[in-house]
Amino acid sequence: MTHRISNKRFRTFLIVFVLFFVAVSGARAELLIRITEGANAAIPVAVVPFAESGQVPAGDKVSTIVQSDLTMTGEFRTLPPGKMLSLPSRREEVYFRDWRLLGQRYVLVGALTRSGDRIEARFELFDVNREERILGETAAAPASNMRSLAHHISDKVYEAITGVPGAFSTKLAYVTLDNVTGKPRYRLQVSDVDGKRARIRLESQEPILSPAWSPDGKRLAYVSFETGKPVIFVHELASGKRTKVADFPGLNSAPAWSDDGQSLLMTLSKDGNAEIYRMDLGSRQLTKLTNHWAIDTEASWDADGSGIFLTSDRSGGPQIYHMERPGAEPRRITFGSRYNARPRPDDDGQFVYYVHQRDGAFHIARTELKTGEETILTRTGSDESPSVAPNGRMLIYATRQGGSNVLTVISADGGAAYSLPAAEGDVRDPAWGPLVR
Amino acid sequence: MRDHQREVTTTGVPPWKSPVALSVALHLLILGVALAGWSWTSSEHEPPPRSISARLITQQEPEPSPVVEPNDQQERNEERRAEEQRRQAEAARQEEARRIAEQKRQDEQEKRQQQEERERQVAEAKEREAQKAREAEAARQKARAEAKEQARQKAEEEKRRQEEAKRLAEEQKRKQEEQRKREEAERKRQEEQARQEAERKRLEAERKLREQQLEAQADAAQKARAEEARRQQEAAAAKAREAQMLSESEKYQALIRERLSQKWYPPSSATEEMTARLQITLLPTGELAGVKLVGTSGNTAFDNSALSAVRSLNRYPIPKERDTFERYFRQFTIEFNPRRMIR
Repeated sequence: MTHRISNKRFRTFLIVFVLFFVAVSGARAELLIRITEGANAAIPVAVVPFAESGQVPAGDKVSTIVQSDLTMTGEFRTLPPGKMLSLPSRREEVYFRDWRLLGQRYVLVGALTRSGDRIEARFELFDVNREERILGETAAAPASNMRSLAHHISDKVYEAITGVPGAFSTKLAYVTLDNVTGKPRYRLQVSDVDGKRARIRLESQEPILSPAWSPDGKRLAYVSFETGKPVIFVHELASGKRTKVADFPGLNSAPAWSDDGQSLLMTLSKDGNAEIYRMDLGSRQLTKLTNHWAIDTEASWDADGSGIFLTSDRSGGPQIYHMERPGAEPRRITFGSRYNARPRPDDDGQFVYYVHQRDGAFHIARTELKTGEETILTRTGSDESPSVAPNGRMLIYATRQGGSNVLTVISADGGAAYSLPAAEGDVRDPAWGPLVR
Repeated sequence: MRDHQREVTTTGVPPWKSPVALSVALHLLILGVALAGWSWTSSEHEPPPRSISARLITQQEPEPSPVVEPNDQQERNEERRAEEQRRQAEAARQEEARRIAEQKRQDEQEKRQQQEERERQVAEAKEREAQKAREAEAARQKARAEAKEQARQKAEEEKRRQEEAKRLAEEQKRKQEEQRKREEAERKRQEEQARQEAERKRLEAERKLREQQLEAQADAAQKARAEEARRQQEAAAAKAREAQMLSESEKYQALIRERLSQKWYPPSSATEEMTARLQITLLPTGELAGVKLVGTSGNTAFDNSALSAVRSLNRYPIPKERDTFERYFRQFTIEFNPRRMIR
């Protein structure tokens, strides 16, 4: 009995207490301003030329590379050093007021020190408004590898500001075609993301297509016509060792690595019709994943590695489909036009990117998987071969520019475009390499 | 005043009724009665003195006979009475002298007339005795009359005096009474006057009081009306102010929203699910006094972008009115939550 009474009392007290708080909070209803839109502009960042001590190799400055990297994303705009009021290299030298006046949001300062044959970099990133250091690290690289050091710094800066790992240390693979020698010359090349330090991995008079990076970034799979017919090779970059993995009658094309790097998805027409297969690289065992009278091709694993995106013309024209699991009935993803092909999902399962034809022009488009909302990302007209950066923030694709094919990087939402320096001839089939830890 | 005077005259005694006049009349009456009485007694005793005076004539120079006189006396009462008095005194004296002469003559004739005398004496004695007795009686009566008269006069005097005193007393009393009455009347009049005055004053006071009350009521009503009007006006003003403040506040909220939107760079990692809540404290100048992350988005870069945006404004657009500022912008919350990320 007494227990019940006290319980009741307690409840009354509780009610009064709650009412009191409701009343008080009601009386003290604080103003709430909700910001739902951000600046539709790049973030201003000042990358101050690094101080140098000891013999630092000539050539592109670290700060210049970092500036270039950040600019490429379309998310940043950097302040030309000529407009800087001072060139600090340490926190003590940073006058935030100056940088505020210059409209800068972040300031990167640093110093390079020669240490033997290595260069050591110390760098700090400041939030000008908050007057806080949000990044402070040191990194070292061989004096011969200053670009890697710069890209590493770019990655760190990018991640510090955006919360997303930078992808500036990753590699690109692409195929160039020229006629310099009078004959077609196909070259498989690997470069930094800014197109620099490109190295030719394979040269052929026959077409080279569809390079695909292994998850560890150590191997490339591609289609080569060097034998007169399309054959899938796996190429170890470090050793240059090439392995012919698919040389079936008919079409051997569109290789795509599994997350574990143990198998490849590929399109084979050995049975007469183009179907999707999975090949275990160790055993060379094939698993047929599609069986349809229409063409099924260009398969790739989805973000969580359990389902597969593919292109199929089973509806009459090429469209993007998704198989929940290998062998399941594909579900159509794209409906916006009669031609949607070459799906490339991002790594976090939000979007799938693809080539989208509309009014006779080919664009890069994406569809948000959750909503099915399609966005056309490019305005150029002959866009092909989209490839998403491993951090999902950038996209590279091939397009025509001034009579030749070039590679262009855009931010994943279709922002600012950055064209890679034109190589000799046409550039095709870019593939963005993985993040290498 | 006039009433009082009238009252005095009406209550006054006519002059013929005045005590003095009465007294005089009474005296005259008494004197008249007394003279009449005297006249009666003296005429009764007239014969003996006449015989005695015959003897006196022999001894003295004859004098006009008093017999004639009564005629005169009757004519002149006043003189006669005075003469009578004088003569009475004279008679008394003459009586004394005659008695002595008689004694002498008796002594001389005693012998010769012893016998006769004796007889006559006896008769005379008898006569004398009778005379004497009569005289004595007369004297006595006279004395008595005199005494009586005196007593009467005295009594009269006394009475008169007493009456006078009484009259005076009465007069006094009357006067006093009158005075008292007058005073009473005066007092009453004064009292009445005072009462009337008091009444008048009371009425006046009441009137004044009523007027004051009315005035006060009117005043109060006026004040109440004014107060009500003022209150309503104030309420309306407050309401208007409230509305004004609200609209002001909304204006500046919009300004702040716009400015912050321009300064906010949502990081690449931002999603619609992310919300960073910041509590902002401003100085009245619009400068940022403090910012506190009260709700994290779970993404450091996102939180930082919000913090940086909030700190990027040199001055917040705030209303000039201090009360609006204090109410809405002294401290408020900003929520960063991207509605539509195109990325």
